[in-house]
Amino acid sequence: MTLVQISLATGFALIFLGLYGALSNRNILRMIVSFTIASTGVNLVLVAVGYLPGREAPILDTIPVASAAERITDPVPQALVLTAIVIGLGVTALMLAYAYRLFRARGSLDISDFTELKW
Amino acid sequence: MVNPLLILAAGLGAAFLLGLLRETSERAAFHTTVGALAVMAFVALSWTVALASGQTDPVEMLTAGAKPPFAINLRTGIAEAALTSVVTLTGLLSAFFMRRDLLRLGRRAMAVLLVLIMALSGLIMTRDLFNMFVFLELIVIATAGLVLLSKDTRALAAGFKYLVVSQVISILLLIGIIFTYHANGSLNIDDISEVPMGANGASLAMFLVLIALILELKPFPANGWALDIYESAHPGFSAIFSAASGSAALFAVYKVLAMAGPDWALLAAGIGIVTFVGANLLALAQTHDRRLLGYSSVGQIGLILLVIGFADRLGDSFLYIAGGLLVSHAIAKAGLFWLSGMVKARDLSDWAALRENPVLVVLFAVFIAMLTGLPPFPAFYAKWSFVHVLATDGAYSLMAVFLIAALIEATVLFRWFGMALKRSSGHSLHISLTGEAIALIAAALAIAVSWVWGNLSGQENLITLVPLLFALLFLPLDILPARIKNVLAIAGLVFWFAVTKNGLDPLRYVFLIIMVLGGAILLLASFHATGRRMGFYTPALLMFAGMGLLVTSETSFQFFAAWEFLTVGSYFLILRGQDSEPHALSYITFSLGGAFALLAGFAIAANGAPTFPIENLSEVPSRIAPYVFVLLAAGFLTKTAVMGLHIWLPGAHAEAETDVSPMVSGILLKAGLFGLFVLLMEMGRQELFGVDLTIVLVWLGALSAFIGAVLSAFQEDAKRLLAYSSISQMGYAVFGLALMNHLGWLLALMFAINHFVYKSMLFLAVGGVKERTHTKLMYKMGGLITLMPFTFVSVLVGIIAMSGVPPLSGFGGRWIFYNAIMSTDLRLPMILIFMAGPVGFLYLFRLIHTIFLGQLKDELRLTKEAPFWILLPQMLFVGFLLSFAILPGMILRRVDSYIGTLFGDTPLVWTGKIVDSQYGTWNPVAIWGVIATVFVVVFILLIWMNHNAQKVKQFNIVFSAERPFKPQTTHFAWNFFAPYRKAMGFLETPVATSFWSGVSNMLHGTADFTRKLYTGNGQTYAVQLLFFVIAVYLIAMGGLS
Repeated sequence: MTLVQISLATGFALIFLGLYGALSNRNILRMIVSFTIASTGVNLVLVAVGYLPGREAPILDTIPVASAAERITDPVPQALVLTAIVIGLGVTALMLAYAYRLFRARGSLDISDFTELKW
Repeated sequence: MVNPLLILAAGLGAAFLLGLLRETSERAAFHTTVGALAVMAFVALSWTVALASGQTDPVEMLTAGAKPPFAINLRTGIAEAALTSVVTLTGLLSAFFMRRDLLRLGRRAMAVLLVLIMALSGLIMTRDLFNMFVFLELIVIATAGLVLLSKDTRALAAGFKYLVVSQVISILLLIGIIFTYHANGSLNIDDISEVPMGANGASLAMFLVLIALILELKPFPANGWALDIYESAHPGFSAIFSAASGSAALFAVYKVLAMAGPDWALLAAGIGIVTFVGANLLALAQTHDRRLLGYSSVGQIGLILLVIGFADRLGDSFLYIAGGLLVSHAIAKAGLFWLSGMVKARDLSDWAALRENPVLVVLFAVFIAMLTGLPPFPAFYAKWSFVHVLATDGAYSLMAVFLIAALIEATVLFRWFGMALKRSSGHSLHISLTGEAIALIAAALAIAVSWVWGNLSGQENLITLVPLLFALLFLPLDILPARIKNVLAIAGLVFWFAVTKNGLDPLRYVFLIIMVLGGAILLLASFHATGRRMGFYTPALLMFAGMGLLVTSETSFQFFAAWEFLTVGSYFLILRGQDSEPHALSYITFSLGGAFALLAGFAIAANGAPTFPIENLSEVPSRIAPYVFVLLAAGFLTKTAVMGLHIWLPGAHAEAETDVSPMVSGILLKAGLFGLFVLLMEMGRQELFGVDLTIVLVWLGALSAFIGAVLSAFQEDAKRLLAYSSISQMGYAVFGLALMNHLGWLLALMFAINHFVYKSMLFLAVGGVKERTHTKLMYKMGGLITLMPFTFVSVLVGIIAMSGVPPLSGFGGRWIFYNAIMSTDLRLPMILIFMAGPVGFLYLFRLIHTIFLGQLKDELRLTKEAPFWILLPQMLFVGFLLSFAILPGMILRRVDSYIGTLFGDTPLVWTGKIVDSQYGTWNPVAIWGVIATVFVVVFILLIWMNHNAQKVKQFNIVFSAERPFKPQTTHFAWNFFAPYRKAMGFLETPVATSFWSGVSNMLHGTADFTRKLYTGNGQTYAVQLLFFVIAVYLIAMGGLS
């Protein structure tokens, strides 16, 4: 198995693990942790898909610009991952803030306690 | 022109600026927010105007000094500009609407609002897949933040559920994006669309991107989270969530779908129609106003998704149709959410509080009409065009499903409107001038876009129609006293008649007289009303406008628009009656159902033609002609209340106000008859599966005539009696028309005229009695002949005319009728219709006997004659009936010769005032002479015998010292025809009513059962979402392979 395949497999495993965790744990904090695991998996997949074997990191300080196109790996997925990480951080923080307020409101962190809105 | 990127820059910049302000200076923060939103809206609007008027071309905006795909690019074309206008304007107005809560929560909340509007605009303009993801995530974060504006603590849970679901969506989207990039080497939408992907290895990636964006549209049934937000969030935010977020997400789906290629269109269309049907069905079971609006939003967005799925097929008209639906949805939904902010309690009937402020009621009506797609709003044009495209493509089942779901939606919304008008609310209105002003601005925008869509329609611009404007004029005039408005209204009708009467064929001329001049006569009775009588004249004139336009319409579009006008106007009119809420609802449901049948019929008949003249109905290819015939006939028969489709009529006509009953009975029913005339004139006999459809009509007419009469005879309520009698009379007319011969048509026309006159007269008479006795139940009346002599005369003349005995015009009708059926060989329906005659006698006799003859009730001893203004039109009608009886030739002769040109025969020979037919002679003057002689002789005889009469004192009766259990049962007028009921009572079995209430219960049951799907648990919603994705994938792959 190549490096790419290993990381793809790990990435998808993390995604499924995270989703499973988020959908099977009733505790809101556990759900949030599970989602971070899933987004780590997504990030891993992003990097793995964009990786070109044998290429270097796309940092032009160390690589002459002229030969950059042959030597560096695809920079786009790397940029995407950076953005995705930042956004993931924001969403996780927001979810945690929500968890805090939900707990303050009801004294519970069980998702199935918050079902007054339905039908 | 300013660079459209300023929209993004202004939003973002102002949001950062807010962070520099001090915590305590909320006002400055609010002004900054509103200022930024105003700048954004101005830029968006100026681009919309410039692009629409062709002053500029669409612009590509490059970022980071590089060309795509190396940097992100954005685009502003007409669609983008219009949508960002919708988004920014909604944001601006909602910011004002949420002012108090924004000030309470401070600058952070305002910054979040700015970011949301900025991100929505960005999502619309960007051409980069990953950039879309970024904007989407910004929207998610901002949405979750703004949900907390609500003081409802449940909003907290709703926001968290939303975040959970959004996490799942973003995982799908990211994976989809990276594999799409892997397959195409670009994230630029335009680059990707150049490489056809189809159903190859990359299809899963494309599917993931697409489904993730579609999930943002809250497709049914994976949308419980969205409904919870609608229910609990601040109404100002819900307006944004529905109007702005919905629009932006739809455009994102559109862009990606255009990129993915036509293979995926079916997927979007499928999810769209399922969502439209599912959401509207489930809305039936809702009692919570904002949740109902949520269901409705989901449904509307589903409908637009369906249209997007058809984008390729629609070609140039795509933007027109999708835009019409979208802008109607956005304005109406935002407006309704804003209104809901002024209603304190959350039950649908709590909207009754709106009645404290008539302006708000009008706004409510405008938004509901706009959402339902009634003319003259953009959604009306859009639905018209869309159904035409579906029909041209032969997508009949889709068209049927779409129209049925649209009907359910209309029922839900009008039920709500009825509650607001008729129920009472325990809470007063939360008066807010800002809120009212914002809703008014929305209504003004509604009118503006209606004008734009009308202009672009290639048809008539409905909003510039004089009769419509005249009806709307009475909205501001409503502060005047009713009498002044009545004078204006009558003058308007007479004027319209004078302007349009020239150049009409005699048939249309007669209908124009009935509908417009007849309306003016009936409005005389409205002088009786005192005070302002708010909300009467606009609907009444809307109805008359519809009828006036109907008669003069030349194309199917004009016809259908007029039909909708008269339907809506009469609905509002009927709803005014005291206990008419359920009846008005069933009226509008059946009427709109009928109207949709018309729409489908016209669409199939047009077969792709942009405008379809009514007379082209005769050239419809024989392959589709019978279906067109059935659909159109069904629409018209709903209006004439043929047996089976009649259940709306008795309640609607009986519960209406005194002067409204004659309008909706005497005049409005003729609209259906007019339609049938036109239909049969153009299409003639049609056969479907070997059955001659006119024979079916003959049977329907005969059955309606007979059963309607029987049911009428068994009514205790005088107005219901008259209402059932209308069903019977319309049955005669339908029967006559369907005979498809000269005399049959003359008969139908005769019935149209006569029915107008005597039914108007009788309804006014009975209404006058009701005004005085305060009851419609006949056994509570009796002996009123001496107290209300004029009313008695008009009822007497009315029933003589109606029963068809000489000398009045009813006899002429009968005479033609017997001639007509002599010349046909349909024996069985002929017998039925013969039988209907004597049964007609029964109910007419009951009417005059139980009201005017017999003993006078003690409590009615002081009853006065009916009011003058109610009597006046009756006396005019009496005069008309008497003269029409002597001189039937006045009108009939012209029409007779006109019908002669249609059938090419002359069965009637007119010599002077005498009419001859194959079977006999009708000499009205001679008949008058004979009758007058007989009458005078008998009268003298009676006077001569009067000295012998024995006076009987009233109450000269006992019940053997027993107090009867139900006193009214001892009254002779109660259950008047008990013996007949024993014989014919089985006809009273409410078969049609049971059937329709069964349909209604089944739909409600399904809705109530299915909505249990939304358990309220955030995890369940996420699981549903995943199952939805898997199910759609399997179906899509099955479809593609």
